[in-house]
Amino acid sequence: MATETAGHAAEGGRFPPFDQIATTGVSQVFWLIVTFAVLYVAVAFVFLPKIRKAMEDRDGAIKSDVAKAAALSAKADESVKQFEAQIAAARANARDTASKAKAEADAKTAAETAKVEAELNARLASAEARISDTRAKAMTNVAAVAEDAAAAITERLTGVKPAAASVKKAVASVMGS
Amino acid sequence: MMVSTDPMHQFKIGKLFDLNIAGYDVSFTTSALWMVIGVLLLIGVLALATSKMATVPGRMQSLGEIWYGFIAGIVKDVNHAPGKPFIPLVFSLFSFIFIANIIGMFPYFFTTTSHIAVTGFMAIFTISLVVVVGLIKKGFGFFKIFVPSGVPVVLLFIVTPIEIISFLSRPISLGMRLFANMLGGHVALKVFAGFVPSLAVALGGLGMLMGGLLVMPLIVGVTALEFLVAFLQAYVFAMLTCVYLNDALGEAH
Repeated sequence: MATETAGHAAEGGRFPPFDQIATTGVSQVFWLIVTFAVLYVAVAFVFLPKIRKAMEDRDGAIKSDVAKAAALSAKADESVKQFEAQIAAARANARDTASKAKAEADAKTAAETAKVEAELNARLASAEARISDTRAKAMTNVAAVAEDAAAAITERLTGVKPAAASVKKAVASVMGS
Repeated sequence: MMVSTDPMHQFKIGKLFDLNIAGYDVSFTTSALWMVIGVLLLIGVLALATSKMATVPGRMQSLGEIWYGFIAGIVKDVNHAPGKPFIPLVFSLFSFIFIANIIGMFPYFFTTTSHIAVTGFMAIFTISLVVVVGLIKKGFGFFKIFVPSGVPVVLLFIVTPIEIISFLSRPISLGMRLFANMLGGHVALKVFAGFVPSLAVALGGLGMLMGGLLVMPLIVGVTALEFLVAFLQAYVFAMLTCVYLNDALGEAH
């Protein structure tokens, strides 16, 4: 019993965390301070700044990429707007050209129509003039034939040859012209 | 190596070589050896994690960033902006305790955090830091934490001593919690594990069967629990460090 207790005392007793404080407490705290100080210095001055920098760099890269994307998107929108404006201008231009061409064509058609109509009218007028001329000529011929016929009929019926002037007068009164 | 069935044997500190500085016995012991191994492991992992820093992180870099983000998250949640200078300290405390606890989970490895000398000194260091930082930041106003605002003057005679006692008990509870958890868990594991040979010796084949079927699953379960405790105690220590630091950094409450 006595040897067992002595043995335990030599090894640090029954409950080392308390029994060994007197013999190893200073050593434990000393090595704790040394090792923890080494860890703290390495962590605070080497490793954490590196990790923090990597994370900040990533944040920065993401932010700048997003900004770049936004700028490109704005540029694309601008291009689309420009393109649309160009299309609208081109469309207006085309409409203008088309309406101008149509107006020109209309004018040309109207002019041609007027010219043709005028020509036709002129020909119509000349044809009418010719007809009336012909008719007048034909009428004078009819009067001469009627006078001749009237003079011959009168001579055959009466035996007297009528005077040319009176025949002419009589025919004219009958014909009413 | 002779396997001892004594559950306390694992906590004995052996001397590896003598060292004396200014008359103090600071011999290199098994405890010191495992602290050195723990710190070397941490530095090795951190060196691997930070060897190739890329915008798109690799596995080790992700580990380092999650590790850092975890601690920075605690400090940010509890202390907000003024806590930023203390992130390396909380990171080191958490890592040191965590690696010590995890090393302790391996048979024949020594658990440095199972000794009150280590955990108690850490706790005293933390509370001293709180007092020093508080005095630097707030001067004499730091002691307002003992005098809660909005309490009637008569009650202050009761409340202030309670506040002082609760403040002074912090290093004790902080150090004791970690030490007791690590010690108790390892003792429980050892005792349960000791059941298996004990049963085998006492009951022969039947005892072996009982030990194998009933006790072994229990040991496996407790071992898993101890891994959780190893992490949890490191987390609790880091968390409480932040909470106590808030007395020095935060608004008076």
